Amino acid sequence: MANVKKSGDNTGKFVLKTLPHSQDLKWPMLWWISMEKIYRMLPWKKTAWTCAAFPIEIMWIYDIFPDHPENMATVAAARKQSQRLIEHAEGMGFSRDLCSYCKTNIGAYDTKIKKTLGGISKPDIVVCTNAICDTHWKWFQIMADKMNVPFFMFDIPKWVSGTDEKTLEGNIDYVVNQFYDLMVFVEKHTGKKMSEERLHKVLGRSMELSDLWREIFEHRKAVPSPYSGAETSAAFFPLVVLPGVEVGINFFKKILADIKNITAKGEGTMPQGREKYRVMWEGIPFWYRMRFMYDLAQYGAVIAFEPYTYSFAPVKKKCLTVEETLRDVAKLMMDTPYAYNLERRIENFEKWIDEYKLDGVILHENMSCRPSSAGMVDLAEAIMRDKGIPVLILQCDMNDPRAYSEGQIKTRIEGFIEMMEANK
Amino acid sequence: MKKLAYFDTSHEMPLEIIMAAGFIPYKIMGDVHKSNDPADKYLSSFFCPAARSWLTEALAHSKEWAGIIFAQGCNNTNRHYDIWKVHVETPFLHWFGAPLLDSEAARKYYKVELQRLIGHLENQFDIKITSEKIREAIGKSNEIKKKLKSLSMLRSQKDIPNRDYLAAMIKCLTGPVDEISSWLDSEITLWSSRQAFPSGKKRFLLTGSDVTYVEWMDTLDDCGIRIVRDDLSVGERFFATLIPDRNDPLDSLIEYYTGIPKSATRPTIQKRLDYLYQSLQETEVDGVFSQNLKFCEPYAYDSVPVNNALISRGYKVIHLERDFSPAADQQLANRLMAFVEMMEGGNNG
Repeated sequence: MANVKKSGDNTGKFVLKTLPHSQDLKWPMLWWISMEKIYRMLPWKKTAWTCAAFPIEIMWIYDIFPDHPENMATVAAARKQSQRLIEHAEGMGFSRDLCSYCKTNIGAYDTKIKKTLGGISKPDIVVCTNAICDTHWKWFQIMADKMNVPFFMFDIPKWVSGTDEKTLEGNIDYVVNQFYDLMVFVEKHTGKKMSEERLHKVLGRSMELSDLWREIFEHRKAVPSPYSGAETSAAFFPLVVLPGVEVGINFFKKILADIKNITAKGEGTMPQGREKYRVMWEGIPFWYRMRFMYDLAQYGAVIAFEPYTYSFAPVKKKCLTVEETLRDVAKLMMDTPYAYNLERRIENFEKWIDEYKLDGVILHENMSCRPSSAGMVDLAEAIMRDKGIPVLILQCDMNDPRAYSEGQIKTRIEGFIEMMEANK
Repeated sequence: MKKLAYFDTSHEMPLEIIMAAGFIPYKIMGDVHKSNDPADKYLSSFFCPAARSWLTEALAHSKEWAGIIFAQGCNNTNRHYDIWKVHVETPFLHWFGAPLLDSEAARKYYKVELQRLIGHLENQFDIKITSEKIREAIGKSNEIKKKLKSLSMLRSQKDIPNRDYLAAMIKCLTGPVDEISSWLDSEITLWSSRQAFPSGKKRFLLTGSDVTYVEWMDTLDDCGIRIVRDDLSVGERFFATLIPDRNDPLDSLIEYYTGIPKSATRPTIQKRLDYLYQSLQETEVDGVFSQNLKFCEPYAYDSVPVNNALISRGYKVIHLERDFSPAADQQLANRLMAFVEMMEGGNNG
């Protein structure tokens, strides 16, 4: 036991290099926190709860501050608060088998925990979508009822394996019709009006933000990896709540410049010559245990690509008409990489494995996210068969530390590293 | 007549289209007596055990069916479609995107999905699904719904074991429609002649996850609980309302399926509550039994606000989680018996 290093003790460990401007993430974060204060102070300003895959841009178009329960749940986990909040929600009757984001949020709201620890305040409206999962609408509806706040749900049809173009068009029509329902809802409950000029301005910024993130991902193909999942898991924050505003764009521009600079010098996030295994991480990270990504580095493994943060950067284009723009956004909502069907998942994962020169894939079989965990066995088999690289299915949870077993995960990771080594 | 099987976590599948296509609609419900090992090769054990049992059934029996239709239901099992597409051998696999909402946009989409289903069936089986055939199927469907309603109402008056009701439901959701109709007539006669409701039993409303095996209903009987009302899909939600008569039979189906009492996979919780309140107003019960199948998320979410709302109205509610197993769960039985005893002692539980 004497040899076991304590958390945070980096003696003799490889330390992942962070980009020079990575600390600048604090500016978009502070901007967002300050904006909430301003929006809550001024009576004519409105606030909303939104979720992943919801077109946040619509909130900025309507000048509504988008708060984000999932984002705050990750803050609670990173600040080591999630377990007690989850247990609080379980004490209210919510089952251990339910989403840990949801229970963290329920616990955070009920205990009125501080914002800096993952707390969240009552909004004017609650808007969500089931593009990622039905948990979003179940959870948001329960909270909207509890807070006595108007609730809107976007029903996104499923793009299952084998869906043809004609079916897809029908699905898009349904989503577009709901955009108009959403506009009626927002205008009724907030008194705000849609402005086409603002729509184009917001979409323009959103597109720029997503384009920058995608360009960053292009440079992540470099060997050695300049920017690992350990950094992107925090840095993608502007894509969660700031698509459509300027502040995130400036941050991404600096990050991109840093990456270009270090790749030009042939440097990477790992110390020179230490990058041995390039790994894809599928799924949501362990927010309460982000050190996991740094622990991987001790084996020479770097998360070179992860579909999760890439998912947050759909390029929402300004089209010739509002209708065409809505159709484009509708299609993107159904086509988020995090919610790809099995066929598209296999096709894209195999493409990314080639493009990012990956040596292995870790699939987080997330007990809090059954939809994303479905099909992982087939996905793993397809990758191993077609690409001949090892795949590790790691069962755990994104926000509930009770699911994380240090010893078991270490053993499985070491086995996975050995397989990648044997496969070299 | 061949069976056309459907995967449906609640009551979203428009059976009348299957009937109009000339098939027996067969609801896949798995077999609790068989191990889920075949399905567990593709799905982890933290997925709904009932859905894993359905996959196990399909892996063994799909060749006996003309095809399989997946109706969009519980989000945790929607993605199982992709897995079935890879592993279940069938000449016809269709995804039916039943919308979650009941808005005008949802109704329009429902029609698009109905037409797509009809087109796919017509092409695959070289048939014509005419309005007349759909209308005829609606007539038969309504006949069964009416008879099931008459049968189910006898539960609070006569000595009808819980298993008899569930067995009747399962038969109606898996058997040939024409045979079922005449069988229901004889059952109504039979049930009507039974003894009066037993004095030693308590009347309960059953809510929560669907129950698909009779052994579990026996456990309730053993605990002194008689289910006289329910809001299950393999239960009252199937026959709670009738399919209306409209000029276009597709409009009838749209109105019916977007308007049926909601399961937990559909918004809103208030609509579910309204239906429960209505049932509880219609039939006097001693208590409400809310049960959740392990890993069944939609009902696990609903159970907290739904049960709190019922308790606040003065209903005696017990909530339990159960496994997917035919074996009697003694711990669960002990809790139920204690709850019943507390009722008898005048304690609200």
